[in-house]
Amino acid sequence: MEELSQHILDVAFNSLEAGADRLEITVSENILINLLQIEVRDNGRGISPADIPRVMDPFYTTKKEKRVGLGIPLFREAVERCGGIFEIKPAPQAGTVVTATFPHDHLDRAPLGDIAGTITVLMAGNTPLRLIYRHRYNEKIFSFDTKDFQSLLGEDIPLRSPEVLVWMGKHLVENIANLKEADTLEKFGRTG
Amino acid sequence: MKSLEELASLREKLKKDMSIREQGHEIKVTVSMGTCGIAAGAREIVKALLEELKEQGLNGISLTQTSCAGLCHYEPMLEISQGSEKTTYVKIDGNKAREIVKKHLVGGKVVEEWTAR
Repeated sequence: MEELSQHILDVAFNSLEAGADRLEITVSENILINLLQIEVRDNGRGISPADIPRVMDPFYTTKKEKRVGLGIPLFREAVERCGGIFEIKPAPQAGTVVTATFPHDHLDRAPLGDIAGTITVLMAGNTPLRLIYRHRYNEKIFSFDTKDFQSLLGEDIPLRSPEVLVWMGKHLVENIANLKEADTLEKFGRTG
Repeated sequence: MKSLEELASLREKLKKDMSIREQGHEIKVTVSMGTCGIAAGAREIVKALLEELKEQGLNGISLTQTSCAGLCHYEPMLEISQGSEKTTYVKIDGNKAREIVKKHLVGGKVVEEWTAR
């Protein structure tokens, strides 16, 4: 995969296949301590501690139509080639938490890429799904919750209609860019 | 928020559109979203489909996703089903996805050269 946001899409799609109807995706970038952390938390059927090593094995899959399960091993490889840490844990209540932690400035780290596209595409094909996206950049945070968005839009308007999703994608792109832009201006003391 | 006014006008527009179309979701577009599909560009296909469906005012078409169908060498793939009729498009890209919306969904003609043979 060329982008980390594609790995996020892949992991999140696994969550949906595991029966999740709530997803929390958090991207934390902290340049000051050189950290990029991605967390995907779901409320799906969860994972037993015994199954965790198995899903790391590319020749293990629960699916019948194929013999390999490459998603998790590829993501793990993308993390470990940068000296990062990849973890899968059962969530405390129910579901699973996948965490990938990278040195932010590592040359071999894939770019985060089109994370807004990933969120939009997850919303496009899956209902009912409550998706909470958080993006931290140093001290700043942007949060997006599809439940709040639906309330603003009105309960009678389908969130999955193309017009709404295209708008939502642009809204995400703009707000994530603003998060970083504000920091850059502050850092260099620019005022205008 | 991009702007609350903008969102409010979008809501009003969609309410009007919804009262015009009440044809149900008889046409379904399904994109394969397994690891192989995502790596081959399935996300860009869904984005292109959304943009073109919006352009064409086709808010009533059901867009769904499925996992790997075991035909990884054909990815990215999309299937259009209408009743018992199914068409599978293979090795598509964003531009082809837009053309498929225009020619197949709007024009009603299958684009034979992009289907599985």
